Amino acid sequence: MAEKHKAAPMVDEVSDFEILEAAVRELAIEKGLFTADDHRRFTEFAHSIGPLPAARLVAKAWLDPKFKKLALEDGVKASLQVGIDWLNPTGFGTPSDYTDLRVLEDTAKVKHVVVCTLCSCYPRPILGHSPEWYRTPNYRRRLVRWPRQVLAEFGLQLPADVEIRVEDSNQKCRFMVLPMRPAGTDGWSEEQLASIVTRDCMIGVALPHPDRKQDDKRPIHPAVHPIQHDHGHDHAHGH
Amino acid sequence: MADTKAKNPGAGASRQEPDPSPITLLEKIRSRGRAWEDLAVQYGVTNPDPPWKVSMFSTCEALAIRDCLETLDRRASEDDLSETLYRDIPQPERQLMALAHTMIRRGLVDEDELERRMRQVHERLTSA
Repeated sequence: MAEKHKAAPMVDEVSDFEILEAAVRELAIEKGLFTADDHRRFTEFAHSIGPLPAARLVAKAWLDPKFKKLALEDGVKASLQVGIDWLNPTGFGTPSDYTDLRVLEDTAKVKHVVVCTLCSCYPRPILGHSPEWYRTPNYRRRLVRWPRQVLAEFGLQLPADVEIRVEDSNQKCRFMVLPMRPAGTDGWSEEQLASIVTRDCMIGVALPHPDRKQDDKRPIHPAVHPIQHDHGHDHAHGH
Repeated sequence: MADTKAKNPGAGASRQEPDPSPITLLEKIRSRGRAWEDLAVQYGVTNPDPPWKVSMFSTCEALAIRDCLETLDRRASEDDLSETLYRDIPQPERQLMALAHTMIRRGLVDEDELERRMRQVHERLTSA
């Protein structure tokens, strides 16, 4: 007898937000603000991007001094070798915010970290979508004022003699960090090296580690003192 | 691609201060809308983002590439609204509300026609 197939759970409910998104899009297309084709192409682009090309760029730079020199001198040209064309990233046009990529090299004494204080500029073609926290005013404002403390909040404690350089993205220029190759990776292949270069390492809020990979399952720590939710009853709160 | 620029009411408009006063339609959505973080828990799904998030992202990009709503302008408005009117709404619903708010205030879409279209979309999506 055939094994019973159990369907994956799914949200079987249409929310007002889902309806709002569809209504805004349909009206915009009907009014000619943009075309359905514009929208489809951006959606395909959005589904195709991720941090792997940037991880490969880092791994290549670690292995090949000539490529590293190119990456530091001309990030756009170096990106072509990992399949990213900054002058035509979507495959159908050149939005004004995709004009340049600078690769920032960390050393034993200098640590780079990237932010966009004005909005949320991010090297999407090569690094994918920005994480939610990167967009928050909290990160954007505080990183430039207290970089050492903010990095410590990410779990990255740097010695006092390491200088931190915060690079502020802008409409014409995007940045990614080339972290230092960690010890314990001698003899590794490009593929092995790329697997430990996570998105956060290339934003600059983390360091690569030979035991931590892009696709590792992240541990879930149960709360030490969990809050007991009880939605069925009203509670009197004493403040 | 078709040239849509000439039809765009917002084309070439300079950056404007966002108007943070509430919009009736969006206030209704706020009061009855269910955010993805609640739906995901209720239905036991693990994807962190609602399926419509990428589509909203594409709408923002398409508006920018056609000069209807410049990216920096939209983000400035979103930042402002996110810290005031829509601060209690989770992401990415907050971003969607800010986008709709900005489009209504700029005259890119009309509040009444958006409400009518929402009724049609609701009927269509719940008809099967």
